[in-house]
Amino acid sequence: MEGQEQLMLVMGNITKRFPGIVANDHVNFELRKGEIHTLLGENGAGKSTLMNVLDGIYYPDEGEIAIEGKRVNLRSPLDSMKHSIGMIHQNFMLVASLSVIENVVLGLESQGFYIDKKSVAHQIEAIAKKYNFRVDPYAKIWQLSVGEQQRVEIIKTLFKGARILILDEPTAVLTPQESEELFGILREMKSEGKSIIFISHKLNEVMSVSDRITVLRKGRLVGTVDTASITERELAKMMIGRDILFRLERKDIEQGREVLTVEDAQAYNDRGTMALNKLSITVHGGEIMGVAGVAGNGQVELAECITGLRHLVSGHITVEGIDVTNATPCTLASAGVNYIPADRLGVGLVPNLSTVENAMLRKYRQQPMCRGAFIDYGAACTYADGLIEKFDIAVPLKNAPVKVLSGGNMQKLLLAREIEENPRLLIAEHPTRGLDVGATEFVRKTLLEQRDHGVAVLLISEDLDEILMVADRVAVMYEGRIVGIVDAHHVDIAQIGLMMAGAVGVKA
Amino acid sequence: MLRFEKRDKTPVRLRVLVPICSVLLGLLVGSIVMLFARVNPVRVYGAIVKGAFGSAYTFSETLVIAVPLILISAGLCLVYRMKFFNIGAKGQYIIGAICGSYLALFGPATMSRPLLLTLMMLLGTLGGALWAVIPALLKVYWNVNEVIATLLLNYIASYILWFFMYGTWRDPGSHGFPLSKNFALNAQLPRIIAAPSRLHIGLFFGVAAAVIVWIIIRKTRFGYEARVLGENERAARYAGINVVKTVIIGAVISGGLAGLAGIAHTSAVLRVLQLEINSDYGYTAIIAAWLAGLDPLVAIGVSVLLAALEAGGYQIQIVMRVPFGIVGVIESSILFCLLAGEIITHYRVTLTRRLSTPLALDERARGGA
Ligand SMILES: Nc1ncnc2c1ncn2[C@@H]1O[C@H](COP(=O)(O)OP(=O)(O)OP(=O)(O)O)[C@@H](O)[C@H]1O
Ligand SMILES: [Mg+2]
Repeated sequence: MEGQEQLMLVMGNITKRFPGIVANDHVNFELRKGEIHTLLGENGAGKSTLMNVLDGIYYPDEGEIAIEGKRVNLRSPLDSMKHSIGMIHQNFMLVASLSVIENVVLGLESQGFYIDKKSVAHQIEAIAKKYNFRVDPYAKIWQLSVGEQQRVEIIKTLFKGARILILDEPTAVLTPQESEELFGILREMKSEGKSIIFISHKLNEVMSVSDRITVLRKGRLVGTVDTASITERELAKMMIGRDILFRLERKDIEQGREVLTVEDAQAYNDRGTMALNKLSITVHGGEIMGVAGVAGNGQVELAECITGLRHLVSGHITVEGIDVTNATPCTLASAGVNYIPADRLGVGLVPNLSTVENAMLRKYRQQPMCRGAFIDYGAACTYADGLIEKFDIAVPLKNAPVKVLSGGNMQKLLLAREIEENPRLLIAEHPTRGLDVGATEFVRKTLLEQRDHGVAVLLISEDLDEILMVADRVAVMYEGRIVGIVDAHHVDIAQIGLMMAGAVGVKA
Repeated sequence: MLRFEKRDKTPVRLRVLVPICSVLLGLLVGSIVMLFARVNPVRVYGAIVKGAFGSAYTFSETLVIAVPLILISAGLCLVYRMKFFNIGAKGQYIIGAICGSYLALFGPATMSRPLLLTLMMLLGTLGGALWAVIPALLKVYWNVNEVIATLLLNYIASYILWFFMYGTWRDPGSHGFPLSKNFALNAQLPRIIAAPSRLHIGLFFGVAAAVIVWIIIRKTRFGYEARVLGENERAARYAGINVVKTVIIGAVISGGLAGLAGIAHTSAVLRVLQLEINSDYGYTAIIAAWLAGLDPLVAIGVSVLLAALEAGGYQIQIVMRVPFGIVGVIESSILFCLLAGEIITHYRVTLTRRLSTPLALDERARGGA
């Protein structure tokens, strides 16, 4: 159909097997010059694997890659860099203690021992200016927000001369505004003839930003379509092979007693500044309280205080009338407090332990897994099997480290583990971040189910749409306090936006 | 071009074959060095093998060295899994030896042998445990780096031994040498085969300790908690694991086993407390634990191997009059090759070439598709 000169990249018959699973099964993929091409697929469909093959991290068991018509053999990220491929991974690969400049030149062969910081700084600023954003080349990575760090990653790849840019779920960690800015950058690159591979689970983004879409399902290619010729609904169907509900049914149920009360809570964050500023909030049984706010306004610290992972300087927390201020996680567990943290591999799961060992993490002290000082791993295995079956988690090997699960399946495992404990209070932090539409629907449905069973749910999310879809009330957080609480059914989105920006404080 | 890819699981075949090949390769490297030193490698290796395994006696002497290594490395396998990097086994070994020897030297002379020995072993274990608990407390309460703390405590322990050996514990009849008086028969841990072999019942302690630690790691709640803690402290806290308690128990077990090794070796093999009580086993055991992949049962085998090198090494030094440095060269080339072999067991190494799968790519590149 099209001449080869227009093709930037062709991947043919790529097959990559992992123990227990074929992550890519004879996948064909092509990328034109100057296009934004989305890779779409359920969690565990093999998107990251395919891109890791392109980035030289994995070597395919079968298949070939050609760039601009020439076959290439990509054995390492350095090889890929030489063929002008740059990848921005799902989890960033920056050195937190180094400056932007140092991170940008890291691993660059052409750079000798001596780094000419001034000239690199100029080049960085020039790149940033071209795409209409700003970054301080001398800033240390840890001082930057997630969005800024992502830009450093982009600069890093551009600095190395990338013409094929791969972004693995770049928007999962961004606010809607930040995402829009990112799309601006991507469109600018496209107009310069660079080719971009974009991975996202957010269908609206995919529809608005991409030229073409390639869909994978369970490691196989489903097809490549022009964005203009397809609807969101059709896409979702292509992806998961069935129709999907975009509306959730919510029952009207009676609101229960107060389950969680937080009064005048004050706590520091890791950097030692006050993160919670006399914060008070109440959540009832049978209610989902959404907490909206721009990241870094104390949401994480609030969750950690309630789950016993962070010390309260002053104030009180009670769960079902019992004072649990600064109680141990153990006490809180028996009080029925469960937590789905945003940082899955950092707090929720133990990356190097197996799925079974992760599934039992909150249960190993109880029958039937605990037999005196011993653990009955057989029972643990049965328990894990139950979770896997009930929550439909794709686990290729139960005894392989949990870190090889795809992002979405890790999240499902975490959710399953916490829900299975029959919580009284469930704290969910960005529970659908990085999940495919099917899994997202599943998680939201599960949260609503929990609410219907009388559980108090505290849903912390930056995704306003999500909050409005499932929450009963919305609390807006700004600089460590709740600046307003509104009924989720009658909201003025503009007003919430203003409150999130700290412009107004409304008490309802 | 070589390529490395992390394995998810190592086939058992490799786990056995690779170390064997590594040792052979290490021997090869060692012999090249020997050729430069104008020593006949075949004769040296022959002497080492003979010195380590040549007869029942030499093999039993190898085991004499292996016993403390087995005991210490078992404990290290546990604490290293919880990422408590105890490198102070040397100090714990010394303190164990001192504590146990106290009873041997100054305990009631009339006490029955089994009772006295039991108490000595207990006291030695306790001493070693105490010496490991200090850095554990420093770590959990004041966040003091345990590598530095345990290392420094090694020096302190050495000087405490000095203090006693040049002080009140010195035997007046030792002509000024820093030796205690010989242990009475009551205070000598029994040897298990006929003289001159010095192999003692500590061997059973060692094997039992390795098996028990293996069970602790694999089968018990504490072992699970230790592994979770070592892999992810924040998740451990969320799971309600008591970090302080876990680290301290781990330190007690590891320090206790090192202390037991110290007193068992002193009481059974040396039968006297002196400055040189082979406390460097505390360092060798670190190597044994890591080479064993922190599996205490594997560590038994590794300990015997390291012990054989050491025992055979004495032999060539004495018999062949080769400089002891050669032993060091052999030891380190074997270790080096074993460590390199680790890579093969943990990574899939492939020689990459162009893949030969017939492809649709050609048609596609031609603009077909
Ligand atoms: N290193 C590995 N070892 C074993 N299995 C792996 C490894 N990496 C990925 N897998 C498996 O391969 C499958 C595809 O994973 P991949 O990460 O490519 O999915 P994905 O499409 O990126 O999913 P997500 O949207 O959740 O990020 C998963 O089932 C995963 O468990
Ligand atoms: Mg992925």
